[in-house]
Amino acid sequence: MPADQASIMGIFKHEDQTAAAIKALRQRADWTVARVHSPLPSHAIETALAPPKSKVGWFTLAGGITGFFTGFLFAAFTATRWSLMVSGKPVVALVPFFIVGFEFTILFAVFGNVLGLISQARLPRFGPRPHYDDRFSGNRFGVLAQCRPTQTKQLIQFFQDRGAETTGAESQPREV
Amino acid sequence: MDGLTYESIDNTVLATLSPPRRSYWITVMLLFAGVLIGASCWLYQILVGIGVGGQNNPVHWGTYLINFVFWVGIAHSGTLISAILHLFRAGWRNPIARAAETMTVFAVCTAGLFPFIHLGRVWMVYYMLPIPNQRTLWPNFQSPLMFDVVAISTYLTVSSLFWYTGMLPDLAIVRDRTVGVRKKIFSILALGWTGEYEQWRHYTRGYLFFAALATPLVISVHSVVSWDFALSVIPGWHTTIFAPYFVAGAIHSGLAMVLTLMIPLRKIFHYEQIITMHVLESVAKTIVFTGLIVGFAYATEIFMAWYSHSTVEMESFWWRAFGDYSLEYWIMVICNTTIPLLLLFKKIRTTIATLFIISLLVNVGMWYERFVIIIGSVAHDFLPHAWGLYSPTGIEFGIMIGSFCLFFFLFVLFVKHMPSVSMTEVKETLHEGETHAG
Repeated sequence: MPADQASIMGIFKHEDQTAAAIKALRQRADWTVARVHSPLPSHAIETALAPPKSKVGWFTLAGGITGFFTGFLFAAFTATRWSLMVSGKPVVALVPFFIVGFEFTILFAVFGNVLGLISQARLPRFGPRPHYDDRFSGNRFGVLAQCRPTQTKQLIQFFQDRGAETTGAESQPREV
Repeated sequence: MDGLTYESIDNTVLATLSPPRRSYWITVMLLFAGVLIGASCWLYQILVGIGVGGQNNPVHWGTYLINFVFWVGIAHSGTLISAILHLFRAGWRNPIARAAETMTVFAVCTAGLFPFIHLGRVWMVYYMLPIPNQRTLWPNFQSPLMFDVVAISTYLTVSSLFWYTGMLPDLAIVRDRTVGVRKKIFSILALGWTGEYEQWRHYTRGYLFFAALATPLVISVHSVVSWDFALSVIPGWHTTIFAPYFVAGAIHSGLAMVLTLMIPLRKIFHYEQIITMHVLESVAKTIVFTGLIVGFAYATEIFMAWYSHSTVEMESFWWRAFGDYSLEYWIMVICNTTIPLLLLFKKIRTTIATLFIISLLVNVGMWYERFVIIIGSVAHDFLPHAWGLYSPTGIEFGIMIGSFCLFFFLFVLFVKHMPSVSMTEVKETLHEGETHAG
């Protein structure tokens, strides 16, 4: 966030108020929505923010493909260390090794999924989050908006008109 | 869920984390004593040898494998409730999803002990790991037992990650409502979750993929467990019906265990408004459904034995029903297929006492199902002169008691120290209605 920007957090009780405020904020060229907090995933907020699709699925897919080949080839590798026919099956037996490949597909896809989730959602993050209110995890919605310092009062008024309480009128000299 | 608010949901669940009463610690100590009994029996077996168990020739697989299959089966329902019902958007699963997932993780941990116990010489366990031994011999992945090692390890890893990921928003709630050391612990556990939309955006996607991956996994795991038997040539085991039969049975037993755990939890923690009668009734209806599938599988097995004209198969199934283990067989049939039909009556499935009793009986029936399958087939296979009987010894009973105590010990510790109901998912149900799972 540029140094000449002020941040105001609007704290809402209801999801629909929050979504409406986000929509109105996004229509203004001089104010921006920096962050939105919610105690639960919300379709209304998602619609209001219109975010791009999450890329977590690509990590999952990459993990799954890697897992299948890892599992299948690993089973084949161990079999070729001792090239013995077992139960009349070929040394590199497709059907049983496919089962190992399947299990590894799921395992590595889940690893990819977790990696995608923590990298995309930027977790873990243990430092203090400016303007965070403890009620956001429980029963309140938060919209952090930025404006020029001269517009602080209008932004506070904007939130209050929509039923929000507000916090944080100070200028934030660093990225949020 | 009438009268619930976001705040009341948090307050109800967080109240369960308040310092426990003396009765709680007495329960924990009693369960721990049971764990010690099991551990002592296992230690005795390690010192003396596997012969202290009742396994013999021809019944090489006794209660250790029965309990292994039983606990893996119990685990499956947690994934059904958390993953499969999530994909089906069944909102009633939300209040019980956390406890069911917890049940899954602890049941897999308990199940995972039994192959170690059954090994006898437990220090040789590394033979099952995909590493070369001192003779540079690698494990053979053509064996269904090796499929099992891979499948169960994958299942434990995936269900643990699924469980923990699902808890993140709730851990943040606890973090934000506590002080002192507990706040510090939950701050670490919550990984800095703040409920930002950017987090939810990736979280909901990741959770959906978790559910989508856990669904085929859970089906594959119990299919693989069934192949431990079905890929042999033993009559009663060598059948293609085993995979779906085992999966249905696993879900049947798991749902019964969910009721066994949820009913006391609901009463003790005053969850009546969250785990409503509608939720318990939905579980009961699903038990009727899985019970019918299990009953159909029992009938199909008998039909296949008769229709095949295989003398050995026919003898095997005749002996199951009318031979030395006929009592166990009829306990299995009645408890798993007949008694669940009582849940068709609304009065019975909406009465807590009858629901609880039926859930216990289904658990008993499912344990006996594993007994009948595992013992009954090898005790009475091809050659009459090789037939034999089996009964567990005191050491095996001790280890079995230990495994039940371990499961309940872990569960009881969990529910008093971590949120046992997913506050976030219950809020979603409140928000979206009970027909939507978020």
